[in-house]
Amino acid sequence: MFVRNDLLFLGLGILVPVCASMLVFLFVDAPPLRATELFFEGAFGSSQRMGDTLMIWVPLLLASSALIITFSAGMWNIGIEGQIIAGAVAASFVAREFEASTPVVLTAMIVAGLIGGMIWGGLAGLLRVRGGVNEIFGGLGLNFVATGLVVYLIMGPWSRRGIASTGGTEPFRPQAWFPTLDGLRVSPLSVLLAIGVLILVLWFLSRTSYGLRLRATGKNPLAASRFGIRTDAYLLLSFLLAGGVAGLAGVTQAAAVYHRLVPSISGGYGFLAILIVLLAGFRGQWILPIALFFAAVSMASFQWQLQLGLHSSLGGVIQGILVLSVLLLSGYRAISYMRKPISEEGDA
Amino acid sequence: MQWKHLVIFFSLLLFVVGCSDNDETESVSSEASEPFKLGLILVGPRDDNGWSQAHFEGASHAIEKVGGEMIVVDKVNPADSPNITVPQVVDDMIGQGAQLIIATSDDMKDGILEAAAAHPDVPMIHASGDSAWTDGKAYHSELPMLANIMGKMEYGKMIAGCAAALQSDTGRISYLGPLINDETRRLVSSTYLGAKHCWTEVAGKSASDLKFNVNWIGFWFNIPGVTLDPTVVANEFFASGTDVIVSGIDTTEAIVEAGKRASAGETVWAVPYDYEGSCSEAPSACLGVPYFNWGPSYLDAIESVSNGSFKATFQWLGPDWKDINDHDTSMIGFLKGDGLTSENSKELDKFTKALGDGSLNLWTGPLNYQDGSSFLGEGESATDLQIWYMPSLLEGMDGPAE
Amino acid sequence: MSLQLRSITKTFGPIVANDSLSLTIESGEIHGLLGENGAGKSTLAKVLSGFVSPDSGTVELDDEQLKLSSPSAAVSSGIGILHQEPLVFLDFSAVDNMLVGSPRDGNHTKDLAEEHLLKICEQFNFSIDPLIPVQKLSVGERQQLEIARLLWLGARVLILDEPTTAISGSQRENLFQTIRSLAEAGMSVIFVSHKLEEIQEICSRVTVLRQGRIMGTKHLPCPTSDLIDLMFDRELEPQGRKSSDSLGSICLELCGQKVTTHFESGKVDMTFRTGEIVGLAGLEGAGQRDLLRSIAGLDDTVTEGVFFRSRDIGDDSYIHRMQYGFHYLPADRGREGLVDGLTITEHVALASPQRSIATDWKLSREESKKIIDKFSIKGTPESVPASLSGGNQQRLLLGLIPDNPTVLLMEHPTRGLDIESAAWVWKYLMSLTEEGTTILFSSSDFDELMTYCDRIFVFFEGAIIQELASVEATTERLGSLLGGVK
Ligand SMILES: Nc1ncnc2c1ncn2[C@@H]1O[C@H](COP(=O)(O)OP(=O)(O)OP(=O)(O)O)[C@@H](O)[C@H]1O
Ligand SMILES: [Mg+2]
Repeated sequence: MFVRNDLLFLGLGILVPVCASMLVFLFVDAPPLRATELFFEGAFGSSQRMGDTLMIWVPLLLASSALIITFSAGMWNIGIEGQIIAGAVAASFVAREFEASTPVVLTAMIVAGLIGGMIWGGLAGLLRVRGGVNEIFGGLGLNFVATGLVVYLIMGPWSRRGIASTGGTEPFRPQAWFPTLDGLRVSPLSVLLAIGVLILVLWFLSRTSYGLRLRATGKNPLAASRFGIRTDAYLLLSFLLAGGVAGLAGVTQAAAVYHRLVPSISGGYGFLAILIVLLAGFRGQWILPIALFFAAVSMASFQWQLQLGLHSSLGGVIQGILVLSVLLLSGYRAISYMRKPISEEGDA
Repeated sequence: MQWKHLVIFFSLLLFVVGCSDNDETESVSSEASEPFKLGLILVGPRDDNGWSQAHFEGASHAIEKVGGEMIVVDKVNPADSPNITVPQVVDDMIGQGAQLIIATSDDMKDGILEAAAAHPDVPMIHASGDSAWTDGKAYHSELPMLANIMGKMEYGKMIAGCAAALQSDTGRISYLGPLINDETRRLVSSTYLGAKHCWTEVAGKSASDLKFNVNWIGFWFNIPGVTLDPTVVANEFFASGTDVIVSGIDTTEAIVEAGKRASAGETVWAVPYDYEGSCSEAPSACLGVPYFNWGPSYLDAIESVSNGSFKATFQWLGPDWKDINDHDTSMIGFLKGDGLTSENSKELDKFTKALGDGSLNLWTGPLNYQDGSSFLGEGESATDLQIWYMPSLLEGMDGPAE
Repeated sequence: MSLQLRSITKTFGPIVANDSLSLTIESGEIHGLLGENGAGKSTLAKVLSGFVSPDSGTVELDDEQLKLSSPSAAVSSGIGILHQEPLVFLDFSAVDNMLVGSPRDGNHTKDLAEEHLLKICEQFNFSIDPLIPVQKLSVGERQQLEIARLLWLGARVLILDEPTTAISGSQRENLFQTIRSLAEAGMSVIFVSHKLEEIQEICSRVTVLRQGRIMGTKHLPCPTSDLIDLMFDRELEPQGRKSSDSLGSICLELCGQKVTTHFESGKVDMTFRTGEIVGLAGLEGAGQRDLLRSIAGLDDTVTEGVFFRSRDIGDDSYIHRMQYGFHYLPADRGREGLVDGLTITEHVALASPQRSIATDWKLSREESKKIIDKFSIKGTPESVPASLSGGNQQRLLLGLIPDNPTVLLMEHPTRGLDIESAAWVWKYLMSLTEEGTTILFSSSDFDELMTYCDRIFVFFEGAIIQELASVEATTERLGSLLGGVK
């Protein structure tokens, strides 16, 4: 059911950031129309570019799926970047150590990434429920540890022969690369994986009894425990699952994008995904287009640099504007809704 | 409610995509008669006062001469641009009509090889690479249009080492190293050879009083949280008694920190690297800078593309000894800094001249590796291959070799 | 001065919460609002106080049409609402709470606020230190603070929505006195309650709502049965507890039980029989709640020597005890009882013991429909707690009691229920005891205690000072025991 107000907000939600972006373009002396054109061209202009956009979409989707789980449990999983890294490290281990046919290696990498991410997520969860460490601080700390670990591996045991550079490890054997279609860099497998995982996560949260208890824990832990839910266990579960899903993002980053381990393998996608999930208002289906939009802006900012000579950080500025304006709007909307608490939450 | 809107969203998207797909073909079919288009891929920012700026200015200079256009993408590295890869940049540059692509970092090796394989007939240059060296260890015969250009910075580094040794009071010289590989090992070794020669032969001091120490930050420039912080490393050098730092990284932290300390009254200096203008960060603390002058070689490359003679050649170009600071001819230069005393400046000129006329070859035995094993026997001089693929550091140097 | 409501209509989807209500409230009048759960009382109160905007209708004060677009707009036009538990900033001092939300002008400075608060305190016999942090105040005192704030901001109409449910008897007396003097000073007061005797005691007129419509307005006092006729279309059949000789074996024993914090006399020896109903009387905070929670085994209590059917369960947590059939019904349904944001169906699924991965949503939905029917909840399986009226939230909480509990521990089980529903709920609870459930509940309603209990324990300042058989209990006796007078 769509209320008139909703349409208004949707319209504003699109209009305000677009206008603000136009102003930014004017400010940096770029033709706004050409920039807009380049946005579409750069992100969707050819099958190759669309593929490249999807390549960014994949980790964003996976990271968002992970975050939806922890957000449902009422947790701020700032440690997501570390979980992505842990997944990538585990997958890289498999890629380096096991020689087998592609399906076997990739399956092993996916499983390893899942486990690696789960360990990292589980650590943040344990710190929270056993150690009483706020998940934000625990997560931040674990992010540092993960980066440290990956740098150590790349500079030390996994360094290229005769080289000590944080640039990255030797590329994996081709068997450990996600397969691609001709002429495209994106692997359809990773796209399917990401969409599949998102659907699975949404199904888990909305349809299963575990998901229900997890959501109850997030919405009101005290009341949830009165329903006989072991809230601590569910908090931990949320971190384990989120870590696992985030680990998958690490797997695709290593095996489908870089084909090797690099220190910044998480690419900041974990933090970006926090914004995506906030913008989507925790509603799963909105994650798809919002993540796509973010991916498109990343691609477009490359075109703006390439063709308009704009600064490479402009994409970040545009994303920031988008987030700010939507948050402002939804804040305003929340205020105006407070006055008429209609049972709208039901449609999540 | 939302699914309905998703459907609308995606159909709009598809519509947009459908419309814009046509543009693609247009941009590909750029005419040869149009001004020359050069694609330049930089690893750092184009204004880093170091490696990337040297490439940027060299290429700008060349493209100005032929009246062409340049497409530049900078900061192409996973930390700064996680969602851009070299092959992707190359694709887009070609899509925009670039006739020659220059990838300017050792870190882009895998990427440019992949891109060259995808576009085997587009002229490309990997600066600092060795894929086109028929004698090299990594020769790619299947890539007929991927050339290499590199300067014989070994000479520049020897001059730098000499300047450092001449000026140093304490005999403690430190090298701010980037990451460790063949290239960086040979450059730091050259610096050491220059320093040792001038310390003992020119200044007449005892070899055992020279402490030459190297520390590696882990990459070509600072990546917070990933590499060591070069500012911190530089200060540690100074704190432990070093009075001259020779920089091997792409950016200017060494000269900046030396400048700060010098203006606080300490007698310390630094030798920056890569870019002619980098002494400007702290002129009086600067002993000089060995720099690359990419303009002439890039101009040659552009011209050879224009007249169809471009080939996958490996060029390792030395200075023009007639005047190493001649912008039109010399690949490698050394610009002396204000910090160098006039006396030392004269000595340095003599040293440079000796290198140039061949009367002095520092790559001559006996030379041992760090672990004491022999690199060059008595009277033996090193081949290009031996120098390029330097496997270790030399005896007398402190610091890790891999 | 008079407040005029003209055909106020407010709908929530298909539900017409207020159906073209027109009403005039004179100055100096205390006007009661009565009606069954979900009749639309709170909705009307929220419309008047600017928390929800009506679909149509106007409100006039002294023939001047008001713009009630927000709570602050309502207050500045002269209408203020006193919530059951006023929303206040707990860390702030009393004056700072008065300043929050006040207009930023020269008339609303900290000094003036303090001056005003002291004046009001003197006028109405409150004793609030302006600088005390609000969390140190009792709920009753917070209400007083809120009244002072509303008066300061210029309220001339005061709405009270079930103000007496969370405060003690003496605080209630205090509140009533305040209301009376406000009315004498010319204010209009709208007073929402389910307690007929309160309405009779304090109101001069009462309006009865049913399903969003006005059923009639009466001058008070009038026969209570007239009011009941207006509220419900069914006859109320009074129900009492039949004699308790059918009680079963000992079900629950407490020996030397230790209860943390407030409960001072560490030692309790009690036994409860299967099928027994035991009431816990006392002022708010006298220890009833601690006893209930420690029998439940809730996390903030320590229990020792609790025996369930001769088995020592002292170490078991609440979650563990739930498996023995224990069930605890908290007083604070919003914070502790219901999970806002989850639908009724989801609550049902949460409460049901199914452990398979994929929830059988169809079953849960069926089940929730049954509960909605059985407990006549005004809502749908998809309703979330926030969209239920206060009484309907309580019914949902009751509906979530599992099928055959062994020990049912309840705080204020019928708080906020209209009298008809309360009677129905007790009929249901008594039927549970016939199946073997032991019930312990706390209540501040003497009638409820006297009507339904087999035994009553009276608490005073953390200790049980008297055990009464139901036949021994009278209102007078209970009243003095609550005050600590044996
Ligand atoms: N935010 C909302 N969304 C949907 N329906 C609502 C909402 N608020 C109230 N309702 C519905 O409006 C009707 C009237 O509710 P209201 O709270 O006014 O009842 P009430 O008379 O105060 O009842 P109670 O005595 O139980 O407190 C109820 O059926 C309730 O379910
Ligand atoms: Mg109500």
